[in-house]
Amino acid sequence: MAVKVVPRHGSSLKDKLYLPAIAGGMKTTFKHFVKNLKDTSNLRTVQYPEVQPTDITDRYRGVHRLTLREDESEKCVACYMCATACPAQCIAIEAEERTDGQDEKRPKKFSIDLLECVYCGYCVEACPCDAIRMDTGIFSLTGKTREEFVLNKEQLMANKRSKDFSDD
Amino acid sequence: MSSASIIVVIVNILLAVVLAVGTTPIMVWWERRVAGFIQDRTGPNRCSIGGFRLGGVIQSFADMLKLVFKEDFAPSHIKYKFFYTIAPSIVFFCSFLTFAVIPFAAPLEIDGVSYMMQAIPTQLGIMWFLAYAGLAVYGIILGGYASENKYGLLSSIRATAQVVSYEAAMGLSIISMLVTYGTIHLSDMVAFQGGLIFGFIPAWGIILQPLAAIIFIVTAFAEANRAPFDIAEGESEIVAGYHTEYSAMRFGLFQVGEYAAMSASSAIIVTLFFGGYQIPWLDTAAIQSNIYIVIGAIIVSLIAMTFCLTKWMKKNNTWDDENDPRARETNVLVKAFWIMTVVVSLVLISFIVTGLGTNGVNIATAAIQIGTFLIKFFMMSLVFIWVRWTLLRFRYDQLQMLGWKVLLPLAILNIFITATFVVVVGS
Repeated sequence: MAVKVVPRHGSSLKDKLYLPAIAGGMKTTFKHFVKNLKDTSNLRTVQYPEVQPTDITDRYRGVHRLTLREDESEKCVACYMCATACPAQCIAIEAEERTDGQDEKRPKKFSIDLLECVYCGYCVEACPCDAIRMDTGIFSLTGKTREEFVLNKEQLMANKRSKDFSDD
Repeated sequence: MSSASIIVVIVNILLAVVLAVGTTPIMVWWERRVAGFIQDRTGPNRCSIGGFRLGGVIQSFADMLKLVFKEDFAPSHIKYKFFYTIAPSIVFFCSFLTFAVIPFAAPLEIDGVSYMMQAIPTQLGIMWFLAYAGLAVYGIILGGYASENKYGLLSSIRATAQVVSYEAAMGLSIISMLVTYGTIHLSDMVAFQGGLIFGFIPAWGIILQPLAAIIFIVTAFAEANRAPFDIAEGESEIVAGYHTEYSAMRFGLFQVGEYAAMSASSAIIVTLFFGGYQIPWLDTAAIQSNIYIVIGAIIVSLIAMTFCLTKWMKKNNTWDDENDPRARETNVLVKAFWIMTVVVSLVLISFIVTGLGTNGVNIATAAIQIGTFLIKFFMMSLVFIWVRWTLLRFRYDQLQMLGWKVLLPLAILNIFITATFVVVVGS
């Protein structure tokens, strides 16, 4: 194997003087300063609440939703797989018998405590029916009470796939 | 004492107080905005009073208000409460007093009586600066020691070592300036810098003594505890150093002291090396004899500046939401700036039309020189900020190496060369 000689810097007089390098660095920062001062639209900062981020990808794990069948009823069969997989134990399910012939079982109550949730996505992985997804693209959820962060079945079913994401 | 002398004294003291302490919120705001722009961010731009953001300066006042009203908390493990309390005040007061000897304008003559345009009219300006700039570090040392905190103590040790190694080079670089100017009186030094070398180059300190200027500026950065020499703060290694155990306005005083030290350093740098209040090629006598031309130039440049500023504001100071009170700000400010410009211009034009008496000419000259000093002062502060956001912090051993092995020998060499030159040329 050939020996690769890495050139060492810092031994020439110019390097030892420091000042040329400092001047070079100050030139760089000054260029940025002048460019941004002339036209503040060059700044990279997103003015967040007014301007929303546009770079949320399809794989982003946002707030959950329960997917729906053709007839707008829930896909979920209350198998408890998601609740079992959940490391934060934030999913609470109460099952009941389903009588409309679509399936045998449905959740009577299905709630997710988003203050407990760690957004790991294990529930989505565990679901055998593709009934729970995290593709709403909602990255910020605010509320004034703890209760507002516990989403019930109706709220979860009302959530839609983000419009910014490609159709699946 | 006549009423004129009382007014002059009050104006001088006000200038010193405002520049040393009052500029702190402005400097913090400037620091944060410049840092933002250098790093392609915005910096604070939201805080507003009734929609007026003034470019974000309101944020500094809000921060300051918060510090003032915060609980004055002292950790229970501190044994020397007196030292702990007095340390921030030492930093603050010493940095603040440094400003008292800076000449803001040439000696002002009213009714045949000459007034020195300094808060403390002393002849020993540079000695006063050295004394108080050195003492300000003592507050940092005491604060770190009295905190009874390992980080605080480490920071104190670093500050001590730093001030020992940099004070020497600073003093020696000043000595070469004293030899060059032949005086220790700051006002005389500035008067000297109003002259010309070879008839066309302004005799500024940085042109006469570039080496001393570089050494002094570097050591002034160390003296003011600013990056790249802020190892006493060293938040990557020792949390926050000497102010780890401080909060509320005690911490606020450290902060104000830091910026006051920065202001004082830039003022003394401007005074020693950048001609102080002198406008290049226009010394005091030249301004006095051409006062009307100077005032005319000021009017023209004022209007041009307002034009540029309002144009910049219309382009950049915008707010997307029309209904937000902040969206109205630009229009109101543009009108306010134009009204101010027109009023000031009219007053200046009335001076030209009616003519000024001897006292009037002298006062106008002093005002123009104060303005020049302020422009240079803020430019130098910008350099301080600019350097902070460009250079990395020096490692402790590199700092010592630079101080003892580079700056000190260079300063002594510079004294040697300067003294030889002065003796040979005989001036």
